[in-house]
Amino acid sequence: MLAGLYVGREVPPPAESVDVATTNPLSPGIAMNTDLVIGMAGSGGDGIVSAGESLLTAAALEGYHGVLTKSFGPQIRGGESSFRLRVCTAKVLSPGGSLDLAVALNWEDFLKFGAELPVGGQTTVIYDSNTNVAPDRIPLVGVTPAEVIPVPIEQIARETGGSDRAKNTVVLGLMSGWLGIGRQEVIAGIRKRLAKKGEEIIERAEKAFHAGLEFAEQHPLKTDRLMAEPSAPTAKFVVDGNDLCAAAAIVAGCDFFGGYPITPSSEIMHFLGREIWKYGGTMLQAEDEIAGVGAVVGASFAGKKAMTATSGPGMSLKTEMLGLASIAELPLVCVNVQRGGPSTGIPTKGEQSDLFQAAFSAHGDVIRPVLAPVSAEDMFPVTIEAFNLAEQYQTPVIILSDQEVGQRKETAEPIDAAAIRIIERQKPTAKELEHYVRFRFTETGISPISHPGMKGGNYLASGIEHNEHGAPTANGEMHSRMNDKRLRKFDPLKQRRDLFIVDGHADAPLGLISWGSTAGIAIEAFHLALTQGLRVKLLVPRLLYPVSEQVYQEFFASIARGLVVEQNHQSQLFRLLRMFVDVPRGIEQLAKSGSNPITPAEVADRLRQISLALQREKHQQPSEG
Amino acid sequence: MSTLSARPVEDYTAKDYKSDLKPIWCPGCGDFGVVQAIYRALANVGRPPHEIAFISGIGCSSRIPGYTTAYGFNSVHGRSLPIAQGIKLANPDLLVLCAGGDGDGFSIGGGHVAHAIRRNIDITYIVMDNQIYGLTKGQLSPTSRRGLATVSSAHGAMESPVNPLLYVLGYGAEFVAQGTPADMNGLAKIIEEGIRYPGFAFINVQSPCVTYGQEDQMLKAQKATLQTLESLSHNPADRLAAMDLAQAYGEKLYTGVFFRHAKPGPTFERLARERQDAQRSTVKSRADVLNVFRLKKP
Repeated sequence: MLAGLYVGREVPPPAESVDVATTNPLSPGIAMNTDLVIGMAGSGGDGIVSAGESLLTAAALEGYHGVLTKSFGPQIRGGESSFRLRVCTAKVLSPGGSLDLAVALNWEDFLKFGAELPVGGQTTVIYDSNTNVAPDRIPLVGVTPAEVIPVPIEQIARETGGSDRAKNTVVLGLMSGWLGIGRQEVIAGIRKRLAKKGEEIIERAEKAFHAGLEFAEQHPLKTDRLMAEPSAPTAKFVVDGNDLCAAAAIVAGCDFFGGYPITPSSEIMHFLGREIWKYGGTMLQAEDEIAGVGAVVGASFAGKKAMTATSGPGMSLKTEMLGLASIAELPLVCVNVQRGGPSTGIPTKGEQSDLFQAAFSAHGDVIRPVLAPVSAEDMFPVTIEAFNLAEQYQTPVIILSDQEVGQRKETAEPIDAAAIRIIERQKPTAKELEHYVRFRFTETGISPISHPGMKGGNYLASGIEHNEHGAPTANGEMHSRMNDKRLRKFDPLKQRRDLFIVDGHADAPLGLISWGSTAGIAIEAFHLALTQGLRVKLLVPRLLYPVSEQVYQEFFASIARGLVVEQNHQSQLFRLLRMFVDVPRGIEQLAKSGSNPITPAEVADRLRQISLALQREKHQQPSEG
Repeated sequence: MSTLSARPVEDYTAKDYKSDLKPIWCPGCGDFGVVQAIYRALANVGRPPHEIAFISGIGCSSRIPGYTTAYGFNSVHGRSLPIAQGIKLANPDLLVLCAGGDGDGFSIGGGHVAHAIRRNIDITYIVMDNQIYGLTKGQLSPTSRRGLATVSSAHGAMESPVNPLLYVLGYGAEFVAQGTPADMNGLAKIIEEGIRYPGFAFINVQSPCVTYGQEDQMLKAQKATLQTLESLSHNPADRLAAMDLAQAYGEKLYTGVFFRHAKPGPTFERLARERQDAQRSTVKSRADVLNVFRLKKP
């Protein structure tokens, strides 16, 4: 079992108490919220993301759980910037659906995010009154929000904070007031963040915060947004996917990182550039993507655990080196923090459209394992597993993360590093070194691997086909046998059921499949569907390739209809499965290109429609007997 | 190699570095001489074969690691330098050699050379420069002379050649030499010097292609025209003089050390080790890295 991995039967009760209100024990009759989604947008210099992070940290310190996603325009400075923060009294797995609270510092930037910041009939909309738009004329077409409140955010910022740079602090005050969370913590956070800037600046920021707070207190909302007390055990960690991936690599024993800056993966390089030296490792910012992974191939040949990280265009460039690592049977981990593609695509926004590339971009007959984390927290066990698989099977392993998982922050359970199992590559014994044969045909297909410095282990590693000793060959029979060795060794991997989340009734006629960052949405939708009485079961593969035929066949055995949910245009997982598995004809797809949000409610809704269709079908069938 | 002097020099001979693999090279190929010179240089340096990593790319000359008893890596086209750097950084105690052809080093892999020089990682990079693509049967290479007619330039090359010597000198390489199998003693000597230089060392070898090369590039012609830099009283500490002489690439065959920095700069691996040593004491175990995620009261 994968240490720390989130397994189906441990799924917490529906965090899908979305919009489910509990009664406020202090003032009966006033509903208190257990789950709220806040969205905020403005221009790049407004400190949007830092406001979101402050709010998440403050909420987490008070014991709430949360997920913070960030979305940006392509500009380096200025441009549009936004966050979505979901705060919940219990654990959450996705950024949720439409907004409960929407904050627009200006409308132009807010509107650029479109469906990423969806305003609905239940939304309270707050905007800066300096935009000179009347509350009944806000530029949101086809929607009437629950309440629209203009706030002189910029004016308050100037009057109290001394400049419009305090706008985000004013908003923090507003949120703190209306949600009833984080007063002490936000102020403490401000003090810490501005500690070096002097007492005067801190005082101004505090004033701005209090002014926001005061405004909220004087303007109670029509729809109450006070949060109920946290109900689940308090989170002890706040993680984001890219940083946690880097940290997990260190825990796994990674001694070398080679890479090239690319959005949205660079934080992995930044983290290791700060930390890896402390653990005796080395970080190399290479001259290009190819050199980055090339150095990783070299470090692995030299006997060290090594990793590279990139995104779409970089992945394309690294492809040849990954093929080399496959034929030379060298372990390495390659993280692809996916973004919109093809080519440059949308660098700042996530997508799950590199699955085909991960599985098939090598030339020749190649299998290399592909793993996907379902959340930022999941990045830890998945990265550890990636290193373990790489070392065990002497192969490159691809981690398919994406911008959302990579850059989102979430509250997480404490990580117990002592509980994880670390696998090392199989080295030759002293006896084997007497007559060492690097690529010896073994029962498992895995041959003990030496490295420079090991006496008697000398061999030739090569991208050219070779015999057992590593000598180049063009012999067809040897090529066939070597291909067989390199492919057969992955057979046991397909039996690893712990790399799949399976939940629900084994004989359910309705199936739901999803992967990566959309899996959290699917899991929440699954629980929502269960509470609605649907007979549904869930399958989330963390191992995407090689396709484990048996796991899917078993899952499909009881299924007449179902849904595969993913964030890409071509339904890549669905099509990949059809290549290897007899997929029932009633399986449908919910697939959207990146930055078009999929919500738990939407998925549950599709499931309900599919279930109804299934029932109708049954009624139409002539009864037996 | 700064670590060499600290080790007992064992009594190695050239034979200890020669593998059983039979070279695929054409009879008379210059690369036979290069590999012999490498055996001799390695024997003089005296490191055991298992402490040597020898990396190459793709091309006739890139078969060379397999003909030695070192740990070899016959990798992909143009990428020997990134792989070699990863090896050296992963284990700075190894002696790391890198080799390939002029196409490997100055065409498909040309972008890597400058950065290997910048980092000054202690690797010896030997380019077997034959001004032609031999393995793919006679196309134009980055060092082919202008006007050369080949299968891929039926009407003559329209480009001027890359000058490998000026290229690496321009990027600040600290050790730059040129040799030829037409002078085996000289070649073995500069390879040994390159290995002993404590930093990135570049050695261009005029290694003729007997199948697709030109008459004036053959060993016999080279013997008649080569001039040692020593005979010209060149001072290898003088970078500008080295660049001046390097301009004659393609016209005159100068052999020997063009440039050897009088005060070798720091290597990347030494700076990395210093950084590791300075920071290691701040942590107890690898799990400490997770502390940054702990929620702390501000």
